[in-house]
Amino acid sequence: MLKMSNISKIFRTRLIETHALRSFNLTVNDGEFIAVTGPSGSGKTTFLNIAGLLEDFDTGQYMLDGEDISGLPDKSRSKLRNEKIGFIFQSFNLIPDLNIFDNVDVPLRYRDMGAGERKDRIESALENVGLSSRAKHLPAELSGGQQQRVAIARALAGSPRFLLADEPTGNLDSLMARQVMELLESINDQGVTIIMVTHDPELARRAHRNIYLLDGQISDLEEVTQLPLNQNQSQSQRADHAAI
Amino acid sequence: MEIRPILSAMFRNKLGAILIATQIAVTLAIICNGAFIVYKRYQTMNRPTGMDIENIFAITSEGIGSNHNARAVAAQDLEVIRAIPGVIAASNASSVPLSGSGWGETMQTTLDDNAPTTGTGVYMMSDQAIETLGVNLISGRNFTPDEMLYRDENSGQIPNVIMITQALSDQLFPDENETALGKTVFFDSRPIEVIGIIEHMHGSWVTWDALAQVSIIPVLTLSNQTRYMIRTEPGMRDQVMPQVEEALANVNSQRILRQLRSLEEFAARSYAGDNTIAVVMMTVIVLLVIITAMGIIGLVSFLVNQRTKQIGTRRALGAQKFHVIRYFLVENWLITTIGLSVGLVLTILLNMYLVEHFEMPRLDRIYLPIGLVAIWCLGFIAALGPARKAAHVSPAIATRTV
Repeated sequence: MLKMSNISKIFRTRLIETHALRSFNLTVNDGEFIAVTGPSGSGKTTFLNIAGLLEDFDTGQYMLDGEDISGLPDKSRSKLRNEKIGFIFQSFNLIPDLNIFDNVDVPLRYRDMGAGERKDRIESALENVGLSSRAKHLPAELSGGQQQRVAIARALAGSPRFLLADEPTGNLDSLMARQVMELLESINDQGVTIIMVTHDPELARRAHRNIYLLDGQISDLEEVTQLPLNQNQSQSQRADHAAI
Repeated sequence: MEIRPILSAMFRNKLGAILIATQIAVTLAIICNGAFIVYKRYQTMNRPTGMDIENIFAITSEGIGSNHNARAVAAQDLEVIRAIPGVIAASNASSVPLSGSGWGETMQTTLDDNAPTTGTGVYMMSDQAIETLGVNLISGRNFTPDEMLYRDENSGQIPNVIMITQALSDQLFPDENETALGKTVFFDSRPIEVIGIIEHMHGSWVTWDALAQVSIIPVLTLSNQTRYMIRTEPGMRDQVMPQVEEALANVNSQRILRQLRSLEEFAARSYAGDNTIAVVMMTVIVLLVIITAMGIIGLVSFLVNQRTKQIGTRRALGAQKFHVIRYFLVENWLITTIGLSVGLVLTILLNMYLVEHFEMPRLDRIYLPIGLVAIWCLGFIAALGPARKAAHVSPAIATRTV
């Protein structure tokens, strides 16, 4: 479970202060698929960065799987990111000089994991996204949709509990976007909690729950998905709404 | 360790790596050979002379007029010099060792036309030669005053006795059990008895192979010009030098006193060429090391800046700061190692060229491992700064559109 209580984040320059998040509260239950929407500058990326331990926050409390993140040293945060969180980026963020196999291998290399186990995981992850045959290709030799699937394989190879996606379809055409979305849904079906930042209301509607951010806070204009949920998810969703 | 992916990435962007590896190869070749040249030069400059070089100086007196009585002047001058506090011994000297100027002669053990001859640097000095030079007489005896030969400037007369260095003795009598002491040898084809063996002494010409083959004969050549060598108590040389000049001027003003120089100064002048080469070579080495270090810093900094987003992504995927630093250090280590591998071959080829064309000795093997380790360390230190900077890239960069 991911729980943020009264999280605030202010970006300061010499002249101005920007409140990216203001007393932000959110609880995400295990297995949920949440879409975060909102206008540019509303704090979506800041929220995702803090949720993914990429950035610190100024005040508040953040519990990830029961562990208080506040004040954790960089090493522990890196370890948590590596073991519990998978990232999918808008521009894929594949390493251009490494082939697909080595790209998926990147997060696994930061674990004390033998070469054999890493190979099995990489092959399995690539198979899951349908790119086994492209293991020796360079990212530039793949289409945008394929590159994003590699990024998803990279995120999944480490068996994360949380998958954070930042505009995962932002650079894809509609057909590829739909394929990626279907892939995310199937991953979510396997029990991985997904938080997805998107501008696309179509995609957002496919999530279990929508969070609408405005000026660093969850807005009252919050939308709720219209897709059918199973009983458990509906209950957890309702509990979450109460918490917000 | 990520050696395979690093190598794989490196080979896809190889221009920068090739340039730095080439620079490292050239640096190793020049540093090893340059350091060897410097070492050899300093070794030559600092080899033992056998003399008390720090406490010896010389002065030349040139009498004016035709009534100059060289023998009397020399006797009086030496008496005055020896009376100066701090002076251990003083002697006339036909030339100054290590000065680049002197008299050479041939010696042989028999007068047979086919008998081998050997060269020697000859010094005409007084019975205080041994004390004045501070050399070690290991066998035989010193000259006595009555063995002194006072001869005219144009006379070819030689005395009956001679002291020679061990090196010359060994050259004349190569048999291990034989020594020149007590034997009559032929000095410029004339017989002369060896009465003393000096352990070691350098002659005048520092580049001469037979530099240590030195002879001293008890002679004062009677001419207007007399050179004196003076040895002082340790540390008193600089104080005594002007006193000697003043005393000689006072005792006889009808002369010119010149070339008041320490033996160290004579040696420094003789070794000026070696010293210049050593300094130039060291400067080249230092500059090359700085340029190579800057090249490495430049390349690693460039790679860090070029890969900012990639570093952020790696951090987002779980890389700790240590992993980022290690990545760049390993990458740089690989480039350095490739450069050094090529550099090893280049070093040996350069040395072979120098041996063939400049009569340089063959490179001591120890220079290669020392050079390798030194450049590995240089590469590590140079890459550490940019690598640490890379480690400070925020993982949040990964979600920004850079």
